[in-house]
Amino acid sequence: MTDSLILGLSSGSACLATCGMVMFPYLMADSANVKRIAVDLSLFLITRLIIYAIMATLAWHFGQAVFKSPVVRNIVPGLLYIIFAVMLVWYSISKSRNPSCPAKMVKTVSNKRLVPIVLGLTNSLGFCPALFIILTKGSTERTLVQSYLAFLGFFVGSSLWFLPLPLAGRIRKKEVIKNIGILATGLAGVIFLIKGLTNIIGGIING
Amino acid sequence: MDNILKTTGMKKSLGKSLLYTLPMFLITFMFLTGGKPNFSDTASGIALLTVFILVNVLFFFMHFTGKTDKYRAVLFIVFALSLSYTLINNMLEVRKAMYFSQADILECKIPFCHLVIPMMILPAAFTKSIIFPGSIIGGFANISSMVVLWLVATLVLGRGFCSWGCFYGGWDDGFSRIRKRPVIKKINELWKWMPYAVLIMVILSAALTLMPTYCSWICPFKAVTEFEQVTSVESATKAGIFLSLFGGLVIVLPVMTKKRTQCSFLCPLGAINSLSNKITPFTVKIDKSACNECFKCVGVCPLYALSKEDIRSGKVSIFCSKCGKCMDACPQNAIHYGIKGVPSGTLKNFSRNLFLFVSYLFMAVFSAGSIINTFHGLLKFIF
Repeated sequence: MTDSLILGLSSGSACLATCGMVMFPYLMADSANVKRIAVDLSLFLITRLIIYAIMATLAWHFGQAVFKSPVVRNIVPGLLYIIFAVMLVWYSISKSRNPSCPAKMVKTVSNKRLVPIVLGLTNSLGFCPALFIILTKGSTERTLVQSYLAFLGFFVGSSLWFLPLPLAGRIRKKEVIKNIGILATGLAGVIFLIKGLTNIIGGIING
Repeated sequence: MDNILKTTGMKKSLGKSLLYTLPMFLITFMFLTGGKPNFSDTASGIALLTVFILVNVLFFFMHFTGKTDKYRAVLFIVFALSLSYTLINNMLEVRKAMYFSQADILECKIPFCHLVIPMMILPAAFTKSIIFPGSIIGGFANISSMVVLWLVATLVLGRGFCSWGCFYGGWDDGFSRIRKRPVIKKINELWKWMPYAVLIMVILSAALTLMPTYCSWICPFKAVTEFEQVTSVESATKAGIFLSLFGGLVIVLPVMTKKRTQCSFLCPLGAINSLSNKITPFTVKIDKSACNECFKCVGVCPLYALSKEDIRSGKVSIFCSKCGKCMDACPQNAIHYGIKGVPSGTLKNFSRNLFLFVSYLFMAVFSAGSIINTFHGLLKFIF
């Protein structure tokens, strides 16, 4: 759970950097009222949690069905970790980083009450490298509970970034925070790159 | 004439320089000898005398020539090399190897260094325990003495600790001086924030795992101090990371960029020390009335702490380690040590004298033991 929490915490900043500015106006729209913000934010987070729980279940069953032999169980996820980790590192060092968020589709929703739920849905299904890494992790866990815990760690880590969203207007030096967050995302990628490599080497040695 | 006065502004006469060196001479004499020099062992006596002379001659030249970084760097680099020698020598004497075993971890016999400090804070606050397997008091390189030394030095010097007290900084400082001109001249500004990202990652991972994760997985200086015995894929991976980071960030990149890249792009303690720059009494000031915007200081700054915008705005960034390299390069004497609250361009000499006395004394006292030990070892080896 620790590494997924760290992954969530580091990639959450990048998620906020791309999606936060799309979500912020909707969550804050015509509301000066703290209760409304809290309700909308809760709905958004609960939707994400439910989607992650479903993904944890699917990923674990997929892993059980596909990664049967111990060698495959080490080598295939190891390769996946490397691919997604490289994508994550690439995201953090790429100069042509293009902020685009699937939550943009929320503009098509006419019922404002549904907006936080649609936002939660699109945000959690916005398949980014960090989510692919956590899907890989969930699929290789020994028990379903461990898969849930991996997703829970990721959810908690990434959600912490959304909590101060109502205060976003008051935060100074946003650019610095964004830069540090993006670099932290790259570091999380490096962690999983190493995890992937050790998985593969371990798989070869033990195989 | 005015220009000549500006460029020689920090130089002192022979008599004045000797006078300014006298307190350093007396304090280092008392510290190194305890007031009773003992020359019964010839090798120890020669080592002691050599280090004592070296320390004081360098300080004298700082005043006599008006140059800071040139002489600071000598002691700083010698300190880094001798500390590694002392540490390795101690490991070899005690354990007969540079690596430590699981038994050493369980017996809390791992020497402590200041880079662990950021990782200790959260676990110490929440669990009231120290997550590093070292000795709290007593023994070689114990935790309490290092924490107190770092805390005092950082509160007084701010990030100056990184150029006047850190016993690793001398490694990349040394390598950054090898080439005359840099091969890589421009690096994306974004990387300057990397130490903060590393800091966040190591603080979180250490708090969650209750392990000093930076030491276990990242620290490049494991390559020149002590490291975990290679017994598994994991420990081999760690050794690979230590060596790659040491090779890349401490040797290759400093040579190519003429910058201290490990300190600029990785060290999490450097990030904390940068923040402490905000509260320390000493600072580096830019006298805008004297500055002709030649930007020589920007080019020579080893920590990417100065940009053209900083010079134009008259403020150095929080990354400054007060090494003095920009001051040595400035033809107008426009960039100088200062004291917070005192306007830039005033009390230049007083501020410099005060800062040099405090910072150099700290480095001299902190480094002397390991340098003497190294000289002693070299003398014994040669004769």
